[in-house]
Amino acid sequence: MSYKPSEQDLMAYLYGELEDDKREKLEQYLLENPTARGELEKMSGLRRMLAQVEDKEVIAPPIFVGEHPSQRFWQAPYMKTIMGIAASLLMVILVAKFSGLSIRYQQQELRISFGDVPEVKTVSPVTQPAVATLTPEQVQDMINQSLQQNNATLQASLDETQKKLNASINQSLALNSDKIDKLVQQASTASEAQVREFVASMQTENAKMVKSYFQLSANEQKQYVEGLLVDFAKYLQQQRNDDLQVVRTQINSLQQNNDVFRKETEQILTSIISKVNTRSSVGLAN
Amino acid sequence: MTETLLDIAMMHSDTLLARAKEGDQAAQGKLVQLWYKRIYNFGYKFFMDHDMAMEVSQKTFISMCRSLPSLQDNARFKSWLYKIAVNYCREEARKRKGNRSLSFDVVWNREAEDSPAWETSSQRFDNPERQLQQTELSDVLQQALHELNVEQREVVIMKEYEGLKFREIAEVLNISENTVKSRMYYGLDGLRKILERKNINKDTIGYEL
Repeated sequence: MSYKPSEQDLMAYLYGELEDDKREKLEQYLLENPTARGELEKMSGLRRMLAQVEDKEVIAPPIFVGEHPSQRFWQAPYMKTIMGIAASLLMVILVAKFSGLSIRYQQQELRISFGDVPEVKTVSPVTQPAVATLTPEQVQDMINQSLQQNNATLQASLDETQKKLNASINQSLALNSDKIDKLVQQASTASEAQVREFVASMQTENAKMVKSYFQLSANEQKQYVEGLLVDFAKYLQQQRNDDLQVVRTQINSLQQNNDVFRKETEQILTSIISKVNTRSSVGLAN
Repeated sequence: MTETLLDIAMMHSDTLLARAKEGDQAAQGKLVQLWYKRIYNFGYKFFMDHDMAMEVSQKTFISMCRSLPSLQDNARFKSWLYKIAVNYCREEARKRKGNRSLSFDVVWNREAEDSPAWETSSQRFDNPERQLQQTELSDVLQQALHELNVEQREVVIMKEYEGLKFREIAEVLNISENTVKSRMYYGLDGLRKILERKNINKDTIGYEL
């Protein structure tokens, strides 16, 4: 039997929402599969643990629903404003009534008064004294004339100052240009000579520096090489001395060996000779 | 999940719903009273934040009162209500993602970090040890729940704590029942892994099974 429950079936079984026929199949499968059973057991353990989280107690605040169809028209928000405006208008009218306010507008003048209306004498407009009357053309002419005069004087003064300015600028330019030319020339000649001098001095300085540097380094090298040679010579000398000593000691030892050998041979010879002598003497004796 | 018999009776009484639908404010108020705790707790588990939960529940019930007349099938009231709540939760979560802010409590309440949680609890006199254990476990579990992704989290909360049927959750989320079940499966699986990582199992916590 190759039945294997899906995740969905497992979940439905875990929460007891699986249909009967499927549930039987799944239970059978669980009996045969300890691993799947363990898995499901873990899940329900987790569920038991999750059940430890308790609900938080909360008090429902009153919920107000603003837009309600059965609202009366005076409960509408804009009604408040309208009523307010109307009430203040009414107040103004009442106050005006009680303080006897009267506002009039007649003969081009506005009158606001409280209480009884006082009688104000109408003042007749003061007649202007007769002046030498001028026609508009004359006035225009006068204006034009004065304007022209003004313009002319202005132009003249402008021209004059312009000329003065130009003259002064030219003068100062003429004065200054000479000076500047001279200065520039001086500067250029001077600078050429100076540059040459400077370069020459630089070159000599450099040459000196290089020379002294070479001398210094040559001296150093010489000293160093000399030192090296001396050291080497010393070393060679030492080596030769050592060698000589070695050879000498070896020769000495050789000589000693020779001496020993000679002595030994001498001894042997004397002993042989003595033996021969005694034997011959014995033979003779015999 | 744990309504009293009276609650269930009221919830299923069509007359209350019918009256609320007609605009009876008393009936609407009763509906709010009945469901407020559930929706608040759903929101609290979703956000792990009291203020957010309150905001979402208020919006949900205002919306409920407004659009009750458009509810076709009274039997589907529960999933209809959770649908509103889930939508508001998602909206708030989206908003909050935009402007990440820290609560003042987190920033300034330094002493609270040093003092055990039970000191601030109102029931600290009845067996403090047990109380602390309970609070801690509850916090750890909710924290773990909060680490799930939104899709799995909402399914797990609705199934485990709100006691909705898979069919109802499918209705709420507008997805197939099978999708709901597999989200549930992976949600539980994820929770198990998170708790294992935090080293929480039935041996490390002393609750009786």
